[in-house]
Amino acid sequence: MGDTTDIKKGTVIRHQRDLYVVTDFHFVNPGKGCAFTKTKMKSITSGKGAEVTYKSGETIDVVRVDRQTVQYLYNDGNSFSFMNKESYETIEVDADIIGDDGKYLKEGLDVVGSFHEGKLVSIQLPKKVQYTVVTAPPAVKGDTASGNVTKEVVLDNGLEIQAPIFIKEGTDILVNTETGEYGGRVNE
Amino acid sequence: MVHFDHMEQIMHIAKQKKVLDIRWALLRATREFFWKQNFFEVETPQLLAFPGQDPYLTPMGVSVANEHGEQKKYYLHTSPEYSMKKMLAAGYSRIFSLGKCFRNNESFGGLHNPEFTMLEWYETESNMFTIMQRVEDFFDYVYEQLGEKYQLKKINIRRMHMNDLWQDVLGVSLEQYLDQTSLFHLCKERGYFVSADEQYENLFYHIFLHEIEPALEKMGAVIVHHYPAQMASLSQLSQTDTRYAERFELYIDGIELANAFTELTDEREQKKRLEKEQSYRKDQGQEVFGIDYEFLAAVKGMPPSAGIALGFDRLVQVLLNCKNINDVLVLPMKYM
Repeated sequence: MGDTTDIKKGTVIRHQRDLYVVTDFHFVNPGKGCAFTKTKMKSITSGKGAEVTYKSGETIDVVRVDRQTVQYLYNDGNSFSFMNKESYETIEVDADIIGDDGKYLKEGLDVVGSFHEGKLVSIQLPKKVQYTVVTAPPAVKGDTASGNVTKEVVLDNGLEIQAPIFIKEGTDILVNTETGEYGGRVNE
Repeated sequence: MVHFDHMEQIMHIAKQKKVLDIRWALLRATREFFWKQNFFEVETPQLLAFPGQDPYLTPMGVSVANEHGEQKKYYLHTSPEYSMKKMLAAGYSRIFSLGKCFRNNESFGGLHNPEFTMLEWYETESNMFTIMQRVEDFFDYVYEQLGEKYQLKKINIRRMHMNDLWQDVLGVSLEQYLDQTSLFHLCKERGYFVSADEQYENLFYHIFLHEIEPALEKMGAVIVHHYPAQMASLSQLSQTDTRYAERFELYIDGIELANAFTELTDEREQKKRLEKEQSYRKDQGQEVFGIDYEFLAAVKGMPPSAGIALGFDRLVQVLLNCKNINDVLVLPMKYM
């Protein structure tokens, strides 16, 4: 058992005799009325989506999951494949379970998988992930003076982010996977 | 040895600079609008001994010591309302405040940040209709000043009685459900898990949040006026139909932006409501605050007035189509 404070991406909830994994949630407090959490979930048995609004403090049947590190292998558009690091077994997950997190995955990245009865139901990314910049437009003199201090760069997994103007191709950088923000350079 | 540049916060500001620049322009236009209408911009204390009693708000406590090291607990204000009403009672007639408010137990990002900017104004010898007009004039002014330059969304507000909104969206006449018992049965009929002792307001929000707010997302800018009397909060009951309170909220694309009242000036009724809220807080296991008797004196002493609280960050959000409040803040709490 739990309550609305347990609602996070990847939380597994028993709802109307089915199990759902939270894919997105939104906290709202109207101030003059009770606060609530709008929750988007997906059934882990049928894949069907559901939207439920919980009142703050409401009791929620949170289901315990096992956590295990898995390594990202590849995706084919419809599903993502990971490797169990102990058994070397390949595990497939539907793309919509991974959702927006998919853009941060790169080959060989370790993530924490949540398992329910042996089935991978969600993943948790490291807070910061290291990438190599593969495309970066050169800084033009006067950019900073005209207010341009960032530029778009492309990373080795295809992810595009805003980085400082001085970042060059080949540089290793960190990205914060919670905010999508550039998190600094990596100097070895 | 690996070490990192620490640049997330600076990068956030740099990335959002264009949005932030518009925010500063909006701050300026807001002040200009009110100054032109002969309002004073005022500052009220952010630290209070008696914070608001709203059962659904959690003020942040702060320990403050004097020069003898004697500690006392104060609270960061959740809105400048009490202080501004004291100013009305002391003779001010048109005042606005544009400053930070603080609320605990809310999300870091999305539609909330623990500290946020509130535009709040009060005017004497007025009612909620005066405020509606001023809200509409305000949006027109902002658009005239900045709309083209920054490609702001043009906001055309329509006014809707709460009863008409229910009729349009649900085909249900709210008139039939203005008491707790009937609304409880309506909730059950519509499949909500509710208990017979739930407050009217909570029952109302079950339906409102699930069925009406999603519809408001597609309705653009709407002033929803005349809330059921049970949800009067700090407002006065309508003089022409006492089943409703003179309270309105402004919704833009489903986001609640402002809450306005023809202010209650009956201190006995105000005291009753505060005591009711106090005991509700106690029942809910929340921190209970003392009643601010100076505030009650202000309610008694102030002339007929109306006021509104408008979330300034959310205003920037809707004008620029920013889904996350973090996009319009210099340093969201999330980054700290």
